[in-house]
Amino acid sequence: MRILFWGCLVALLALSLARPASRDSDALSVLMEPDGTGVWRELIAKYNRDHPGLSVRMVEGPPATNLREDLYAASFLSGTAGYDIVYCDVNWVPKFAAAGWLLDLTGRISDEDLRDYLPASLQAGSYRGRLYRVPAFTDAGVLYYRKDLVSTPPETFAELVSLSMQYRTPERWGFLWQGKQYEGLVTVYLEVLWGHGGEWIDAAQQRVLLDRPEAVRALEFLKSTVGTISPPGVTNYVEEDTRILFQSGHAVFLRNWPYVWTLMRRSRAEIIDRIGIAPMVHAEGQWSAATLGGWGFAVSKFCADPEAAWRFIDFMTRPEQLQAVQRRQGRIPARRNLVPPEMKSILDSARMRPPIPAYAQASDILQRWLSSAITGSVTPDLALREAARETRLLLGN
Amino acid sequence: MKPDYYWETDSGLKGGTLVFLIPAALLVVLVVGYPILRTAGLSLFRYGLATGFSPEWAGFDNFVRAAFDSRFRNSLRITAFFTLVSVALEFGLGLFLAFAADSLHRGRGLVRAMLLVPWTLPTAIIGVLWTWIFNDQYGILNAALRGAHLTEAGIPWLARPGPAMAALITADVWKTFPFVFVILLAGLQSIPRELYESMEMDGGGAWPKFRHVTWPHLVPFVYVAVVFRGIQAFAAFDLMYVMTGGGPGGATETVSVYAYQTYMRYLDFGYGCALVVVMVLVLAALATGLHLILLRGHERAR
Repeated sequence: MRILFWGCLVALLALSLARPASRDSDALSVLMEPDGTGVWRELIAKYNRDHPGLSVRMVEGPPATNLREDLYAASFLSGTAGYDIVYCDVNWVPKFAAAGWLLDLTGRISDEDLRDYLPASLQAGSYRGRLYRVPAFTDAGVLYYRKDLVSTPPETFAELVSLSMQYRTPERWGFLWQGKQYEGLVTVYLEVLWGHGGEWIDAAQQRVLLDRPEAVRALEFLKSTVGTISPPGVTNYVEEDTRILFQSGHAVFLRNWPYVWTLMRRSRAEIIDRIGIAPMVHAEGQWSAATLGGWGFAVSKFCADPEAAWRFIDFMTRPEQLQAVQRRQGRIPARRNLVPPEMKSILDSARMRPPIPAYAQASDILQRWLSSAITGSVTPDLALREAARETRLLLGN
Repeated sequence: MKPDYYWETDSGLKGGTLVFLIPAALLVVLVVGYPILRTAGLSLFRYGLATGFSPEWAGFDNFVRAAFDSRFRNSLRITAFFTLVSVALEFGLGLFLAFAADSLHRGRGLVRAMLLVPWTLPTAIIGVLWTWIFNDQYGILNAALRGAHLTEAGIPWLARPGPAMAALITADVWKTFPFVFVILLAGLQSIPRELYESMEMDGGGAWPKFRHVTWPHLVPFVYVAVVFRGIQAFAAFDLMYVMTGGGPGGATETVSVYAYQTYMRYLDFGYGCALVVVMVLVLAALATGLHLILLRGHERAR
């Protein structure tokens, strides 16, 4: 017994002193989304084959975007090169750039590429006039509609409501959107808000405009759909819940991202023939606006070999690689020439969320009050007044 | 009837022994004192992303902000609820099982060892385990409910505010009732059997025995168990982080989760530290309150 105990102790000690299994120490690392389709692994393998001595190692992170954001932040805070290359969401750019964690990539992209990238995506990768993130994919809110029922898509909120009422049946709802308390709710609300001529935060002047009448009307619209033209459960839906309902024929309209289009085109032909895409609706006398999303690549300040990191980013953002991901994942490349023609006008109307370093916090405040209002625990007016007050406190005005 | 607790024996510190305490005291100052002082110090500064990672003197601004922060108030309420319910359940279950084990004539060691298994596992791993159990599609709990025809669609446990809190409390009780159990069992076993025998000779029933012998002896152990568990539950972070991330809709966002978000996600170090300081003050007040209620009353009774 005693021998066993000491044996175990010595073994543990030896294990703890042993050097960690040697990794490819020269390899640069990048934290990616879970690689469900395997396309990232293939592309990185291809890069490593073509670039001997410059290998890149992929770490698959959790699916939740905010968790990957936290992993990146933790690695930057520790001040060592946890990850050399950042697969970066649009919303992270202001925060990471303001913290000084990303290398300035201004001037790295060739003029030819600069002309090919969508301006909105380039702008979303910039902070205070410097470029920190090379765009790879773009996203913007889209209104899907049943072409077989509705011949011309609605342009205004009023038309959306009346068409929804007209074509809804006991099995078919009018309008699906994402109402769970998360970033998706903010993107939907922003489209409705912009469509009413309102604004969340005027980033240039650091002004919070949430308690304006347009903002209240926008939230009142969203709330009015719950239980009338939208299912009561919409306040807990995320993208996939709504896509599945819509794709199985249970709704006339759906607000979602372009990936749905790619997925539907891959499915049976009779579905795609019945579905059309349109820009999000707007109020009378206003304009449609889509919330801009998207992914790109950035380089960590702590990266030991920025030149090698740039070589990798340049490779990954070539049209061939972006198209490979587009085919497999349905993402829309941020290059003008690769955008499907029917998406062009919608992507042109895409607007950025406020490029402020404290974005995550401002979004959390808005999410909480939006959710409280659409689930009926407070009135839209009160919710937005409170959200505006807290946001002003956050921004220090 | 004055039980001798070992901590009540007055050994007194002789001059020479103090010298030997210095290394240990230094270690405590370094490991415990420094982080506490630094946290308290940082809470008086605006420091983080907004100030370009350079501290700016803020006085008590961070605390004023906390006082008007509805999200913080909400997280305090959630934390208090979680602490109250889970500690009460753990205490009830621990006490019940301690009585049961105390009356065993043999195999007590085995029972104790077996019940301690959940306590020895890392909380994060337990969180993953319970997340699987509570999964709405393939979780074993919903499979059982469906099998018993109690529900058809299954309950999305971690996606609704109420059920998510219930799931967290279940996981926490499962992991930590053994701690309460072991401490209370030790308390029960420290009671001299003669006291029960003399009560029996005086014709005392079960209730008078509990009231006049068991409970007075058990109180210091109850105090230790409840204070330790209360502090741990009030600071609960890992279960929420793994199982719900504070959601849905902030319904399981404890103070620790909010402080973590503030510090790590919002990079607002000064305010994050202020939230932690408030939490420590609340905990100190709770521990003092419990001490006054349980131990003072206990001493007066003697």
